[in-house]
Amino acid sequence: MKKNGFVFAVTLLLTQVFSPAMANASPMTPFRWDLAPAMDSQENFVNWMQQNRHEDPGFLVQRWRRYLAVVAVKDATDERVKEAFLWTPREEFVRPINRSHSYDSAFLDIGYGVTISGPHLVAHMTSALEVKQGDKVLEIGTGSGYQSAYLSHLTDKLWTIEIIKPLAERTRGVYDGLIAKGYSEFSAINSKQGDGYYGWPEAAPFDKIIVTCGIDHIPPPLLQQLKPGGIMVIPVGPPGAQHVLKVIKQQAADGALTVSRSDIYNGRVVPFVPFKKLEGDVIKGAH
Amino acid sequence: MLTPRAAAPSRFLYLAVGLISAAIIALQLVVMRIFAVGSWAHFGSLVVSLAMMGFGLTSVVMCAAHAWCDRHWRGLANTALVCFGPLAIGANLIAQQVPFNAIFLISDPAQKWRLAANFVLYLVPFVSGASFLGAVFLHRKTAFGKVYFADLVGAGVGGMTLLIGLYVFRPDDLIAVPLALWLVGGVAWFVSQHSRRGLATLLGVAVLSLAAHFVLPNLLSIPKLAVSDYKGVAYARKFPDNRRVYENSSPFGYLEIYSSSYLHFAPGLSDNAAFNLPAMPANAYLGMYLDGDGPIGIMRELSATDSQYFHYLPMAYPYLLKPNAAAFVVQFGGGISTMVALHNSRTVTVAEGNPAILAAFRRNAELRDFTGDILGNPKLDVIDYDGRLYLANTPKRYDVIDLSLADSAGLSNPGGFAIVEKYAYTREAMTAYMRALAPGGILAVTLWNKEEPPKSVLKLYTTMVAAARVAAPVPLDNCFYAVSSYLSTVTVLYKQGGFNADEIAKLHAHSKAMSFDEIAAPDSTFDAAQIEPTLANYRASIFGAQTPAAANATTEPEVDPTAPLGAAQQAGPLVPATTMGQIVWNALLHGDHKTTAWDDVARRYVFDTRPLTNDRPYFAAYIKPVDLPRITDRLELFQDEWGYLLLFATLGIAVTVATVLIAFPVVLGWRSIFNRYPGRLGTIIYFACLGLGYIMVEVSLIAKFVLPLGNPTVSATILITGMLVFSGLGSLVSGRYLDRARAIMPKIFIAISALLFAYGAVLDPLLGWIGSLAYASRIACSFALIAPPAFLMGFPMATAMTWLGRLGKDPMFLWAWGINGSFSVIGAAAVPIIATAYGLAAVLQLSGLAYLIAALTFFAIFAPLKKPLAAVRE
Repeated sequence: MKKNGFVFAVTLLLTQVFSPAMANASPMTPFRWDLAPAMDSQENFVNWMQQNRHEDPGFLVQRWRRYLAVVAVKDATDERVKEAFLWTPREEFVRPINRSHSYDSAFLDIGYGVTISGPHLVAHMTSALEVKQGDKVLEIGTGSGYQSAYLSHLTDKLWTIEIIKPLAERTRGVYDGLIAKGYSEFSAINSKQGDGYYGWPEAAPFDKIIVTCGIDHIPPPLLQQLKPGGIMVIPVGPPGAQHVLKVIKQQAADGALTVSRSDIYNGRVVPFVPFKKLEGDVIKGAH
Repeated sequence: MLTPRAAAPSRFLYLAVGLISAAIIALQLVVMRIFAVGSWAHFGSLVVSLAMMGFGLTSVVMCAAHAWCDRHWRGLANTALVCFGPLAIGANLIAQQVPFNAIFLISDPAQKWRLAANFVLYLVPFVSGASFLGAVFLHRKTAFGKVYFADLVGAGVGGMTLLIGLYVFRPDDLIAVPLALWLVGGVAWFVSQHSRRGLATLLGVAVLSLAAHFVLPNLLSIPKLAVSDYKGVAYARKFPDNRRVYENSSPFGYLEIYSSSYLHFAPGLSDNAAFNLPAMPANAYLGMYLDGDGPIGIMRELSATDSQYFHYLPMAYPYLLKPNAAAFVVQFGGGISTMVALHNSRTVTVAEGNPAILAAFRRNAELRDFTGDILGNPKLDVIDYDGRLYLANTPKRYDVIDLSLADSAGLSNPGGFAIVEKYAYTREAMTAYMRALAPGGILAVTLWNKEEPPKSVLKLYTTMVAAARVAAPVPLDNCFYAVSSYLSTVTVLYKQGGFNADEIAKLHAHSKAMSFDEIAAPDSTFDAAQIEPTLANYRASIFGAQTPAAANATTEPEVDPTAPLGAAQQAGPLVPATTMGQIVWNALLHGDHKTTAWDDVARRYVFDTRPLTNDRPYFAAYIKPVDLPRITDRLELFQDEWGYLLLFATLGIAVTVATVLIAFPVVLGWRSIFNRYPGRLGTIIYFACLGLGYIMVEVSLIAKFVLPLGNPTVSATILITGMLVFSGLGSLVSGRYLDRARAIMPKIFIAISALLFAYGAVLDPLLGWIGSLAYASRIACSFALIAPPAFLMGFPMATAMTWLGRLGKDPMFLWAWGINGSFSVIGAAAVPIIATAYGLAAVLQLSGLAYLIAALTFFAIFAPLKKPLAAVRE
């Protein structure tokens, strides 16, 4: 009796410990261009992602709620950019200590004097890039890896360079870990440690370039590696008070190349804590 | 142990008080330096200001327990003295393990606690120091003038000692200076008390403290000074091939120069360089960091091919029209604009006000090799003080005067910008530059243009136009040409006598080739229809209603700040800062009714665009004072104004703490503690006014004297030392007039007020003249100017305190001292707020007013003591 009781207790314990794994024993559904998570309600989204991507329902709920805020303030208007937001597990790219704040609107510290930009800024910058499937995109400043992860749901040709060696290695480890888990779309991200100033000449030219580090001028090698008609976005200013410079490389009929500059927020001051507040599934009022 | 209490105190006692005061002020300055190097200076001001509340706190506690303190004054003094050193070391070491990061203050609740921990930790040693001084003051209350003399002179000497210490110690070991002052002061104290046991204890504790600072961090692998990962230098240290080429510690900053292939500088480079320049110079840069901020770019001497790159920098503009110029570069910095000048001019004169930078370029062999010994270039003359002072006083004339990105450090400063005097950019300085131009000469000013809505550049425009009106009373229509690169740089050219058609054509062609946007040109056309939507959009962006409910309550349109352009706005500007620049230039120069057109734009624009003057030399405080109440619910929009907003936080906290400190005795025992002491309200006002008045004079004069002395550290040292020593002498001399205080003090107050009002009115031209003298004479003149008010300002505190002591108003004596200290903190925080809005002269005049109010309440000190109840019964 005693022995049976012990076996029962052990079995119960093992069931408890391994139940999520057992529930997720079916392989994770890999990302496909023709596949989209349910986007009609929070419940359907969470269920779909749980079943297909085996992600934590708590974070999925937070992602859904932030998604509604991002859409409400028009940081993402394009359907593909919206969908990509929902695909990307932001919680995997923040430091463990900040995981519970993954979907806060604020930027977070990721060590080495680097931040992961807030979800609204990332969505807005991604929107401004106008990435089409098949576009070649170069990112300068891998940082947390979230931006490239986001982009990997919009194109399968990505290159990213990080200047800080331990950070580059850490983020590569995050990608590799997630690829092993089944996030096959992150295999499209080519990463290296190096000086982003010189771009990635071997992979050039690029349709889009996103620069996420401060510099006193736009590196000429990057403008050279951008295709005519290509778009580059660069945040300007300190974290929390940033403007995002949008640069378009233009070619005139006579072949002359020029660059046009604008701000993706059209000169407006954008707080990293947005004014809108989410109540249930509805955007209301101010914080 | 011999304790001859009744005997006159030995000189060692005064020496001890002086040295401990010196240690306290040195520690205060050390904490400021630690914050400047480890994170950001203005957070140091916040923490130190609040830590100085330790004096108020101590006085209140001693006031409540004055009888006990009086009985045990010696034990209290001994204990507090011995504890000061280890507490300073311990608090600093622990604080360095819990650094806080300003940029996460809003998003990370833990940061607030870290900030609070820093505040509490740094408060502790000041409480200890204040307890020592309080105990000695209480004991010597009837001869307060002398001990106060020792206190003030000691503090003055402490400031000077730390200045010398800055040459000897790196910031992380600078705390050794207050520790040494404390040790010597402690020895003097125990000698004065004939206490061998105390002496032995002190020495033992000192050895342990030194060991804790110099040995413990290595043993435990903890930092003595934690440098934020977000400081400029922290990034350089992470570059894989970084190497520190040069390091130097001096009062002019902790200077480091790093080499790395990852460093690239081309401030404001035209985007078109990418398509026309064969290659950017590689491995051509070093990064210079001052107090960890930067980098300021230093460039290798370039080959003829590589130097084509200069053509694409905005600082190349004046040389297009003046190819063989006698050029003057106002600030050397890292030397890039000097190199541009050397490649394009006949002769170049360059000025640099920071001797540490010149020393590095002159003495360091590697730097000399790297830059081709730029300072030794035969074409180059070097002026080793501020360019603005030189140009204001030289008979020489120049074809080109260049002020380019003199503040390239802090380009993207996550900690926000502190409130710093920028005398090189004031109307008076610009006027001096314009007057130093040879006929047809060009003044070129390049500034960062990273703000949207634009702030600093608009102040630059209004300042240059105001200066031009003073320099040459002629129509300015043809005198200005300005270009900008969106979210990059702006360059303003002023030509004496105006540009001719050929020159304008050349400038047009170059700007087109560089893809820079013209924002002012003599022949430009301007679409006035842009004014309304641009100003309205900016107002909506900052002050727009943020909720539907709020929208009903305000006339501002509701705006979604993150929304992409709507159909109605599509026609609006894509580069609003550029359009705003055009609006400003048009209104300033070509408006139909020039002044009124500009006044209208300035009134409707979201930020303050008033010119910089020597009275208000700040690129800061852009929020108009009238708008301040409207932004309290949207502070996150002003993250680049941390330095400014923190002043309000400091002021708010200081006022709260001071109120609590004043209320504490009132609530807990006004009746019991102060029952016998009439004139309480008058006494509070008197000492509050002295606290406010004194510190406001000191802080505003530190800012003013940067004008002739060129350097904030030198100015602060001269002012702190000068003010305290002369006031100390004043307090000593005041002792002779104690019995005639009632007759003499009103005259003293009137004299102080008159002097302060007069200084407010005439100091600027006087300081401008002093700036033209040799440096030693400038320092001598500075002391001479400080002496009269400072000497007189030593009288009121000492006289009133001594009389409180003589009248036996012990608790009031302590309380008054605390009120004075607390209001000093309030005054220090209020100075930059008043100065940025109304000017430094206004601060001096307010101080004058404070001394007049003090005069009115002075006689409250003498209100006769009521007899104790028991005595009445008898």
